[in-house]
Amino acid sequence: MKPILVLGGGPAGLSAAYALAAMGQRTILVDKADRLGGAPILTGYAKLVPSGEWAKDAIGGMVRRVEGNPLIEVQRATTVRSFSGEPGDFRARLSTGAELQLGAALLCTGFTHFDSINKPEWGFGTYPDVVTTAQVEQMISSGKGVRCPSDGREPERVAILLCVGSRDRQIGREWCSKICCTVSANIAMEIRDQLPKCNVYIYYMDIRTFGLYEDTYYWESQEKHKVKYIKARIAEVTSDGKRLIVKGEDTLVKRPITIPFDMVVHAIGMDPNLDNLTLSAVFDVKLERHGHIAKASSYTSMSHTSRPGVFVAGAATGPETIDDSIAQGQAAAMAALASVQGRAREAAE
Amino acid sequence: MPIHEKSLIRPENLVTHEQLTLEGVDVSGHWSTFIRSRVITDYNEAMEEEIAALPGGEYIHRCWQCGSCTNSCTVNAVNPDFNPRYWIYLIRMGLEEELLRDKDIVWQCVSCNKCTYACPRDVNPEGVMKATAHWLELKGHTAKKPSMEFDEVFSEQVFATGKIEEGRVLRQFFARTGQSLFQDWLVALVRGLAIRRPIGLLARLAIASIFRPRTRGWSRARAAINEYLGEQETAQRRALGLEQRGSER
Repeated sequence: MKPILVLGGGPAGLSAAYALAAMGQRTILVDKADRLGGAPILTGYAKLVPSGEWAKDAIGGMVRRVEGNPLIEVQRATTVRSFSGEPGDFRARLSTGAELQLGAALLCTGFTHFDSINKPEWGFGTYPDVVTTAQVEQMISSGKGVRCPSDGREPERVAILLCVGSRDRQIGREWCSKICCTVSANIAMEIRDQLPKCNVYIYYMDIRTFGLYEDTYYWESQEKHKVKYIKARIAEVTSDGKRLIVKGEDTLVKRPITIPFDMVVHAIGMDPNLDNLTLSAVFDVKLERHGHIAKASSYTSMSHTSRPGVFVAGAATGPETIDDSIAQGQAAAMAALASVQGRAREAAE
Repeated sequence: MPIHEKSLIRPENLVTHEQLTLEGVDVSGHWSTFIRSRVITDYNEAMEEEIAALPGGEYIHRCWQCGSCTNSCTVNAVNPDFNPRYWIYLIRMGLEEELLRDKDIVWQCVSCNKCTYACPRDVNPEGVMKATAHWLELKGHTAKKPSMEFDEVFSEQVFATGKIEEGRVLRQFFARTGQSLFQDWLVALVRGLAIRRPIGLLARLAIASIFRPRTRGWSRARAAINEYLGEQETAQRRALGLEQRGSER
């Protein structure tokens, strides 16, 4: 039987490749980066929601069981140049020049972090102490701790701005990125643990720590770690030369605020992968209106794209959590396997 | 420029100089009216901690501003300015001058505890109201309420003797609140007693007020209570940044 292509070595792709191999299916795992792990590893996430495990341990374990598997061939620093054929009989050419014959393909191509430079009024790129959640994750995971980039001092007051690059028609991003509220509560608790004298304020429009994250992240951050939540969408971040000044309206007292902070953190959203237009053209799959890879159906044909034999899982379909991406990777593996084996059985009969 | 819609601005935010000359131009009176800025320029993080240090205020940091306390509130139903949800927010952000605008109604909480049972986060808003009224008194923003005077007279007597003697409580309460002993209802009560002459009761009253009986072996209990109260007061005054009182007890 021909191998199945898994494109992307993040949580969804690692999960799909391992599931396929576990069912005895030969798999080729291709990733454009020079190492596996996807966003959690390449960005350098710290402690994951909801397990609290370090990303390098949790996702690292997923990488190891794939890299050591004889049924999985890993191609790093590689992209797919062309893709053609029919389900059960696809041909692909890689950037390495290799030609592959494939039974099916799984797109586990993930997302791109929102680039805060697109919201210049919030000071990212202008003031060094305005950072993103991704940068704070790096400060924590590197072991250096949360410090102001300008002079390395410990911040005494941190503001986290939610919905940076999400729920914002002004910049064409009308979706909720789903994870940022919970990630921000997680980061806020970590800051309060590391720097007990540092107060953390979260400026929000709504808090969407969905499901079981309500009490374990939102309530926990308020009740145990005394993180303060203020309902206000910030107008601008400036500086008085010493500290950052956060301006906005405190909606509950209906008064303007100009509050000094040492550090401002953008809770950046999840954009469609910048490669999605290329992927759409190469694999001839449709994108949905926001630019993510479109799913054929949510019910009868889970994991299917608009093209038979090509499947999708994880944050490639829209903002997604790590654990749901892993579940979807496994679901897509099952769909792809059913497609390949069904055709093999038909051919035999 | 004169300000036309002054009614939209809080009077204390309007500043007018009776006599003012700017660059040789006389702008006395309403010609020099200025509006103070409404901008909040900083949070006072100590305020929440101060309220949390007082009995009842311990869980104020749990509040997420849902308004369940205010919409279940007995007093809010008759006075819309009585808004526990709002005050909790002001305290948490440290907006002291905003809270002080309502300092004379915070004490009106009737402790019905409907908010306590409505609150989804166990903030204990009724306790926060008590702590806030206490805070306002300790900080000198409000005078002691008659009810607080009564509580003090009552408890001081219990702490001292392990008993209460009603006549003494009443006399001290009236003395401390500057009220006359000759209250209509009290005069009527005494007159009634004089007519009916319940000899046994009157005798007990007389003995109690002359000899001030104590609960047997009370001195150890009194010492323990006073020690505890002293610790509490010391801790509270320290939390509020107030000077410690001399050892009165």
